[in-house]
Amino acid sequence: MDNLAEVLQLFLSIDNFIAIALGVVIGVTVGSIPGLTATMAVALALPFTFSMQPVAAILLLVGIYKGGMYGGSITAILIRTPGSPASACTLLDGYPMAQQGHAKKALKTALFSSVIADFISNIALIFFAAYLAKIALNFGAPEFFWLICFSLTIIISLSSGSMVKGLLAAFMGIMLSLVGLDSVFGSQRFTFGNYNLMDSISFIPLLIGLFAIPEIMEFYRKKAMPHLKAKASGVGMTLVELKRCMKSIVRGSLIGVIIGAIPGTGATAAAFISYSEARRRSPNKENFGKGEVEGVAAAEAGNNGVAGATLIPLLSLGIPGDVITAIILGAFMVHGLTPGPIMFQENLSLIYALFLGIMLSSVILLVVGNAAIKYFSLIADIPKSILFPIVLMFCVYGAYAVNNTTFDIWVMLAFGVVGYVFNRTGIPAAPFLIGFILGPMFEDNLRRSLLIGNGDLSIFVRGPITWFFIVITFGSIALALYRFFQSRKEKTGSSPDNQSA
Amino acid sequence: MSLSRSSAANSAKDTIDIVTGLVLLVLSLVLAFYLIPNYIGEPPILQNPMMSPRWLPNIVSWLMLAFALLLVAQGVLTKTAKEGDERKLVKGPVRRFLVMIAGILVYVFFFEMLGAILSGVLATVLLFLAHPVRTWWAYGFAIALPVGVTLLFVNVMNVPLPLMPF
Repeated sequence: MDNLAEVLQLFLSIDNFIAIALGVVIGVTVGSIPGLTATMAVALALPFTFSMQPVAAILLLVGIYKGGMYGGSITAILIRTPGSPASACTLLDGYPMAQQGHAKKALKTALFSSVIADFISNIALIFFAAYLAKIALNFGAPEFFWLICFSLTIIISLSSGSMVKGLLAAFMGIMLSLVGLDSVFGSQRFTFGNYNLMDSISFIPLLIGLFAIPEIMEFYRKKAMPHLKAKASGVGMTLVELKRCMKSIVRGSLIGVIIGAIPGTGATAAAFISYSEARRRSPNKENFGKGEVEGVAAAEAGNNGVAGATLIPLLSLGIPGDVITAIILGAFMVHGLTPGPIMFQENLSLIYALFLGIMLSSVILLVVGNAAIKYFSLIADIPKSILFPIVLMFCVYGAYAVNNTTFDIWVMLAFGVVGYVFNRTGIPAAPFLIGFILGPMFEDNLRRSLLIGNGDLSIFVRGPITWFFIVITFGSIALALYRFFQSRKEKTGSSPDNQSA
Repeated sequence: MSLSRSSAANSAKDTIDIVTGLVLLVLSLVLAFYLIPNYIGEPPILQNPMMSPRWLPNIVSWLMLAFALLLVAQGVLTKTAKEGDERKLVKGPVRRFLVMIAGILVYVFFFEMLGAILSGVLATVLLFLAHPVRTWWAYGFAIALPVGVTLLFVNVMNVPLPLMPF
């Protein structure tokens, strides 16, 4: 009862409501503008949360995340430009619907399925996070060491395109995370005598540099494209259509939940799996790809079903499952909180206040999403030539605000250049960030295990939990290698040289 | 002549991967043989070599070296489809890019000297000119937004920024 009163006291604050609403509005707005991503918006919003209470700060970022997931579908449906990679699947049926004059129906379908999927995902978060955290209370340093090893293997799945490049990016991230003072001996590592580097590389300037600056650089490097205008016309979704799509929505949401809870798999995979399942089971399967309302519903359900579930490994184990949860992990740290099983013991009220806020965000998404459909043209008609200078201003102010030093603006710029080079060479930025976050955790748990075991390596295989993580770590590597060689085989089989031969 | 050119093109199928791999190869060698031994201090007595502050950086640098070699091999052996290659950009005029860089450098060099508002105005105007933005009233935003956002940071969010040069 005391706990409930404390939870309500933490949650029932006007700041929290404003933070969630503002977050969802920013997310939908940014998500619906092609070229601006939810990741970029979450990174840019992080410095704004410094002076906020932890609950309001996290809810603002979660709101942006959720809004961004839905917002990406708006441009996918109206102008055939997905606002996020996961919305690419919505485009398959959404855009043909818009061309047939049913844009409003497609947008409403996307909204309703997003909200339902988001709600189901939140329920899964509330049920499973606490359960998983309870199990994780039995973990010591060796168990965490193997858990982090397993999480590092997720980098392979985050490496869209080339596994080699993804791993290289991760190694670079780990190497840069080691800059600063060594936590055990206090030795300087790659500080070059610069006191700004003693306390490691600042996370927020790195984040802003890596995810926002390259987009700005590319916009000014690319040939200017004509600005596309869009209009949401037609009638909305009927109750009969919603009932018809319900099975696909619930199935897609569950697929999203399962995929979201596995670190590194991501919303794009969930959207496509949900879509193909819906297509396989639908009586209207021949309509898929030509403007089928169930196709839009399935894709969006899969896409948004991931949102709440990705927070399960973050809150219960302290392991980020994707880039946005990695940024949210950073926000927890800024506020002196460390997600993981201990947080469930020490800050339970805060976690339940967060859960309440996350549930509320689904309702707010419904209201804001409806308004976005109506006033979308106003949002999307802001040309990028006006938008990007403003984004740059936020980048600089945000980077400077961390330590009040110009050095952080330099760091942001340096990582902006790194991000731009990554884009031009096809090296993915997500594994770099995951490596940067997991590198120090890996080293800390390795050293703590060695200290506990007095240098005896058998501590790493001390019990069933470590055995379990060893098996899934090597299983994950084996699966990735199998997929890699399989795709190589397929590519070689379909290459023009082979065909001509 | 044409034969040798086509065989050269066939032997190097993805130049970007080869160059990236070579750059990373050099970087990992510099890390392994110069930066780690010279810029990471090691305590005189160690209970276990795995406790050394150099242990993880060493492992990572050698892994980087191995994967950089793999990337070079990938570039030599694998042909990348030109269509849908996200690495390729349809480039615009260089002037646009350079003016944008000048805008960023205004922030880097003058942020503390001129303050957030003046450097914000200057950089935003430069970026508007880089595109270029042709609607004159939009330039009003270049003044109003830096003022508004700076005051938002300082007064609402309690984030201290240098306001003015004086």
